[in-house]
Amino acid sequence: MPTKLLICDDSNMARKQLARSLPEGWDVDVSFANNGIEGVEAIKAGKGDVLLLDLNMPEMDGYQVLEAILEQDLPTMTIVVSGDIQPEAHKRVTGLGALDFIQKPVNKEKLTEVLLAYGVFTKEEQNVAQPVITPKIDIPKPVTQAKSSVAVAPPLKVVAVDTSAPVNHVELTLSAELRDCYQEVANVAMGRAGDLLARLLDVFVQLPIPNVNFIEVSELSMALKDVEASESTSGICQGFISAGISGEALLILNDSSFKDVASLMNYQYDEDEGTELELLMDLANVLIGACLKGLSEQLDIDFSQGHPVVLGQHRKISELIANNSTKWKKTLAIEISYSIENYPIKCDLLLLFTEQSMQTLNNKLSYLLD
Amino acid sequence: MGLAMSLETSQLNELHWLMEMLHNIDVGLVVLDKEYKVQIFNGFMENHSGLLPREVKGKPLFDLFDEIPQDWFERKAESVFLLKNKAFTIWEQRPYLFKFESYRPVTGSADFMYQNTTFIPLMSSTGEVSHLCLLVYDVTDNAINKISLEKANEELAILSQTDGLTGLFNRSHWESCLQAEYKRWTRSQHSSSLVILDIDHFKNVNDTYGHIVGDEVIRHLSSLIREHVRETDVSGRYGGEEFVILLADTPLKNAYVFAERLRREVEVSVIKYNDIDLKYTISIGIAEIEPTIKSYEAWIECADAALYHSKENGRNKVSMHPKPV
Repeated sequence: MPTKLLICDDSNMARKQLARSLPEGWDVDVSFANNGIEGVEAIKAGKGDVLLLDLNMPEMDGYQVLEAILEQDLPTMTIVVSGDIQPEAHKRVTGLGALDFIQKPVNKEKLTEVLLAYGVFTKEEQNVAQPVITPKIDIPKPVTQAKSSVAVAPPLKVVAVDTSAPVNHVELTLSAELRDCYQEVANVAMGRAGDLLARLLDVFVQLPIPNVNFIEVSELSMALKDVEASESTSGICQGFISAGISGEALLILNDSSFKDVASLMNYQYDEDEGTELELLMDLANVLIGACLKGLSEQLDIDFSQGHPVVLGQHRKISELIANNSTKWKKTLAIEISYSIENYPIKCDLLLLFTEQSMQTLNNKLSYLLD
Repeated sequence: MGLAMSLETSQLNELHWLMEMLHNIDVGLVVLDKEYKVQIFNGFMENHSGLLPREVKGKPLFDLFDEIPQDWFERKAESVFLLKNKAFTIWEQRPYLFKFESYRPVTGSADFMYQNTTFIPLMSSTGEVSHLCLLVYDVTDNAINKISLEKANEELAILSQTDGLTGLFNRSHWESCLQAEYKRWTRSQHSSSLVILDIDHFKNVNDTYGHIVGDEVIRHLSSLIREHVRETDVSGRYGGEEFVILLADTPLKNAYVFAERLRREVEVSVIKYNDIDLKYTISIGIAEIEPTIKSYEAWIECADAALYHSKENGRNKVSMHPKPV
């Protein structure tokens, strides 16, 4: 009898990657869920003897799914597959009954090893020579595409793209599928950076779902949903470039966060601007560096980074960005809003790619999809 | 065999050229081990520090360069070792790491070389970060340009708001302050008074003693105003010999006390210019903001009307715009 396997992830690409990474020869019946609510329903319907669960999802996240499984005593064995690689996240999910924790992007060897370790999949199965080895997969398109929380971003014209062919011509639109890819790649990169931040500050970093949009530069300040327009902010930007891809990373911190960041980093905080710039630079080094490293590992590219430049200190968010606004028209913006558990710290990392970079980026992403 | 030889030779050549480039590149290169002892030190570092590679090899960085704050440096470096992540520092946070002289000792205006630095983790064969590479960039020209641009902008901002003769705010800036105060009042309803004053018979001063003496009188009055106002008050030169003072959070009664003190002070002052002893007086009008005043322009008119009243009634007086009961 085939094992009922449920893959619960909001990203279409992540679901595909996982399905592709299943061990060969495993007699398995795969179902998919786009979010936690669908996931719990599917387990109840008996589709999930084994659950591969993402943590960062809209509607109902992975932690809530684990809680529901515990509370309702649902019959499933859960393995978490997440871009959030903080040790604390690992600890929390195992505390909630998950068997194990696998880091995204997932690879076949690691997944097989974990499945073998828990006896979900056996050596015998692995050794059975079956002619048909790849599980037949019918991946549903995500139904719940628009997330209400990203409503600030302008509506995107969603164009259906045939993914079997590489995307050659990119107009000023972002297909739902590509957007999902960007989101997933950003998700993994963000997790790396979040992990470093957590280690640097010794805290638990709450990771959001990255916000990916193709926007006018003039809309940038509007897109920064988590930075309050009324509050004064400070920002650093840093350029990065690789063959065919260039852009800037912006790190924006609410000024009210400085005191907490200073105490977490054991800085003697006096209100002179020197300390704040030091803090901002330390955060920028960690977050921008790790995020770019995460991206370059996944896309197999190597970035050169320019020196960071102070955008401004103690200004309104619109003033921080105003200086750059004449240079670009359209930009692919990946926004990641980090917040720290139990501290009112808000920090926004924006990765902005030039319009010209889209072609190369899309080609790189299509390798991940194949 | 011959082919292998030449391949080896060309590889050796490349390596040699690479070393040569690193030695000659106009960027400082330092490799440090985990104890911050210098392992590599290129030509840029050698020339700017005056220290030879053999003098620095194996020595702790902080012993060689006591301008480097050890705590600060170790904090940056440790995160590079721990997180295997590059780190950058910019001249805005710390103007220099190594106190080197500026490249242009003759025509340059900088006392030292402004520097940006990059910390790069160097992996050993086991994947551990065993060493750290430090890149030092000379950004003196950029820094000097940015600093002088900021300074010029600051000066321009002040200049564009200030009246040249008196150093008080000029009319356009003062009016925008008044407008802001009026808006603030519509929300907060805190009392606020506007004082307008005018030098009596100023035309006579100019006609009798000339414009230079006239200017002296204006300067004298503006310095008296500056002495009398509080930090939160906004004073400006409104016209030729007309001045305005906005007294925030001040009801009419208190504004009157202020105006009367200023009037008396002027009355008893004597301006000495060469061998001339000159006395002058001022007339003052005051209006407190209240609901029947519907715009900031109307507020000025009310204070102006009170000033006119002072002039009509013999000058050297303070008049108040009557508050509706």
